[in-house]
Amino acid sequence: MTDDPKMAWAITAEGSQFPGPLPCGLRCIPRGVDELATEHLVLNMGPQHPSTHGVLHILVELDGEEVIAAEASLGYLHRGIEKLAESRRYHQVPTLLDRADYVSGLHTETAWALAVEQLAGIEVPGKASWLRALLMELNRYASHLVWLGTFGMDAGAMAPFLYIMRDREMLLDVIEAITGSRMMFNYVRPGGVVADLPAGVDAKIRAWLEVADTYLSENDALLGGNEIFRMRMKGTGVIDRATALAFGMTGGCLRATGVDYDLRRDVPYCAYPELDFEVPLGVRGDNMDRYDVRVGEMRQCIRLIRQLVDGMPEGEFSGKRSRVLKVPAGESYAAVESPRGELGIHLISDGGLTPYRMRLRSPAYFNLAVVDEALAGGLIADAIVTLGSLDIVLGEIDR
Amino acid sequence: MWGSGILKGFAITMRNMFRGPITVMYPEQKLTLPERARWAVAPRYDAEGRPKCTACLICVNECPDHVLNLEVSKSEDGAKHIDRYVYEVGACMMCGLCVEACPFDAIEMSHEYELATRDHGDLVRVLLRDVDAASTRRAKGGDDA
Amino acid sequence: MSALGILGRFAAMLVLLLVNGVVLIYMLRKVLGRLHLRIGPNRVGPFGLLQTTNDVIKLLTKEDLRPDSADAWLFNIAPYLIFVPSFMAYIPLVFGPTLAVTNLDTGLLLAFALTSLVPLGVLMAGWSSNSKWSLIGGMRAAGLQIAYEVPLLLSALGPVMMAGSLDPARIVAAQSGVWLGFIPRWFVIPQILAFVVYAIASQAETQQTPFDMSEAESELITGFANEYGGMRFGFMYLAEFSNTFIVSAIGTMLFFGGWQLPWVATPAWLAPFVFIAKTYTGIFVMMWARGSLPRFRVDQMLSFCWKVLIPVSLAWVVVWACVQRLWPVVAMAVSR
Repeated sequence: MTDDPKMAWAITAEGSQFPGPLPCGLRCIPRGVDELATEHLVLNMGPQHPSTHGVLHILVELDGEEVIAAEASLGYLHRGIEKLAESRRYHQVPTLLDRADYVSGLHTETAWALAVEQLAGIEVPGKASWLRALLMELNRYASHLVWLGTFGMDAGAMAPFLYIMRDREMLLDVIEAITGSRMMFNYVRPGGVVADLPAGVDAKIRAWLEVADTYLSENDALLGGNEIFRMRMKGTGVIDRATALAFGMTGGCLRATGVDYDLRRDVPYCAYPELDFEVPLGVRGDNMDRYDVRVGEMRQCIRLIRQLVDGMPEGEFSGKRSRVLKVPAGESYAAVESPRGELGIHLISDGGLTPYRMRLRSPAYFNLAVVDEALAGGLIADAIVTLGSLDIVLGEIDR
Repeated sequence: MWGSGILKGFAITMRNMFRGPITVMYPEQKLTLPERARWAVAPRYDAEGRPKCTACLICVNECPDHVLNLEVSKSEDGAKHIDRYVYEVGACMMCGLCVEACPFDAIEMSHEYELATRDHGDLVRVLLRDVDAASTRRAKGGDDA
Repeated sequence: MSALGILGRFAAMLVLLLVNGVVLIYMLRKVLGRLHLRIGPNRVGPFGLLQTTNDVIKLLTKEDLRPDSADAWLFNIAPYLIFVPSFMAYIPLVFGPTLAVTNLDTGLLLAFALTSLVPLGVLMAGWSSNSKWSLIGGMRAAGLQIAYEVPLLLSALGPVMMAGSLDPARIVAAQSGVWLGFIPRWFVIPQILAFVVYAIASQAETQQTPFDMSEAESELITGFANEYGGMRFGFMYLAEFSNTFIVSAIGTMLFFGGWQLPWVATPAWLAPFVFIAKTYTGIFVMMWARGSLPRFRVDQMLSFCWKVLIPVSLAWVVVWACVQRLWPVVAMAVSR
């Protein structure tokens, strides 16, 4: 504790009644301050608040503008997805999982398909794996775009959000042409995927790839290139490596602390072993690092999509997909690297037509758990951007 | 130099201003939906305009949200008659599992996406009413056998 | 001045303020819309021109709600305390060689004095709403506006020294003609540093992005105006736009030659249009900044003000004072 320079001052000022560490910017206690009786303010942020990204409720204790403590209160969006899955047949469950992480449904669907295939011993044709990877990358980019836009909004920049929605629209058009839906895809099933790439979609993706780099650079210049933005992000919301690991954080939030862990490379699935990509890493684990890591990931995404479109193999897009799939009794766990981190499905089957138990390891839930640590000590404005930088999706957290 | 990023941001927003709006003026202009877009379920008809439904009930069993309901009456000789084919569009999530499962290609995910209504009752649709199932017609020696 | 004359001027000010408010809200929506790749209002009337008037009617006919636990007296009076100073600040504006509400020798001082009353109303609104969000917003607004008054005033000193007067009419008149035969005698050219400080401080004074933390949408929802609805909210909104107009108009008078066209003599009938056009250009730039930049953090903004803007503008005042004193001596020595 005494390593913290702010704290050290509070301790050396013997006899002072000042509670806790000094507020931002203060080097010493002004004369007369400790005679002032001050009270902490408890603020209910959410569940209706523009920056809690859904129905999250955070209790923050404030000393002036400074956050002393924060506590997240969850469950406003609980729909019982895990329980509902127990009464659905195996091919019906993806319709539920789309609604768990509604920003990147294809990752959840794929995790489910992998878990079922692992337990039932189903072989998937090569093309299906490539299609899954392509769709996941498109979806990852779209999801990161949503994060980038809302993160900019949290920092007060309105324009990038609308530019990003334009870019996302182009992507969603592609995904809609392939899967038939913009959000609730229901495309990846145990055994393969529902449909092949339709005619003309290849040109659409290439048209998007033409402009993707330019648009991303523009949006990056508006946010990451802006001095005001950098000033706010540097050194705020620091989550160190030990804390991140202790809380089970994954994905971009973990990589921003310098831990090199990406399931796509470390526990390869689908077509990823055959693809060439890098994993961007951060150093300090502050907001700026999380920003840089995610934007770096977006650049890698463009690279991956280019490879996936160019190298798409010929062949069957799906093996046999049964409507009354019987999965042998047992357990399996399959995880994918979703835009938010390790998204795992733990499946227990008793040999019946429906799963005995399905458990979703939702990465944003673990990433959110750290808010108590990450928000304390910053200002309200820092709290908002730190929360934004964690990239939470409440549908997946509350399930 | 401090401030160059800010000035660059100004240039970018100005450039975008001259790119012009990307708004689609919705009720007047409409985007074309891709072939695979999934919206409200609609029955399909054969060349003579008769429904292709055979009242096999696979779609009803397949629907995860139980929004489809077929009321079928059977005569003594086993002929099926569809009294009502009810579709609760308000509860439908357009997953398309019913259409995938239909062995007779008798329903489709239509491109009808303007589904808002003024009356809650309109959200429950009767897709087919009082028709012989296609299988019955075939059995009776219809021309589509 | 006759009573009728006073009333007439008062009415003219009010009309100007209201028309300005309506036009500026429409302009803001359109400009931000275009910057955001949108169209902006387009449904009510041709090009959405009637959108703002309809919004005013909506605000006027809305129920006047007051939170039960609010401090009624302060809550009711706060919007007017915000509105009235920004209305009165129209007094010293000079629209043409003979067109002004009244000519004051210390008009500039009056304008700055009036705009510095606004934080009081904001603080009252934030305090009396009895809402934590409003309170934080009000405190932020008061702290910021008081801080940014200082550089705003200091940056105005350069042009004042050049003109040798606090009377806006004389400051504008001092900017007629050309330097070296082709550069218009606008004070922005020698006073570019003061102008930059003025532009930043005025953006903060009117609480627009990147300095809008008093109503930071993503943090405090709408800050001090949180609990207000109906026309009380409308007054606050109107005052904000009126302030925008005023700081831009003062900037035009101080740095861009007021109602005068460069190089040519300005006919009296054209003067107000030139003035308005220049002012609106300034407002457009402010809106452009609003559409392009993310928000500062409150402590960074305050330290930016106290550690950068104020020292810079103070130093500039000293430098310019020396320059102005020494220039004649140097020029004389050179010519001799």
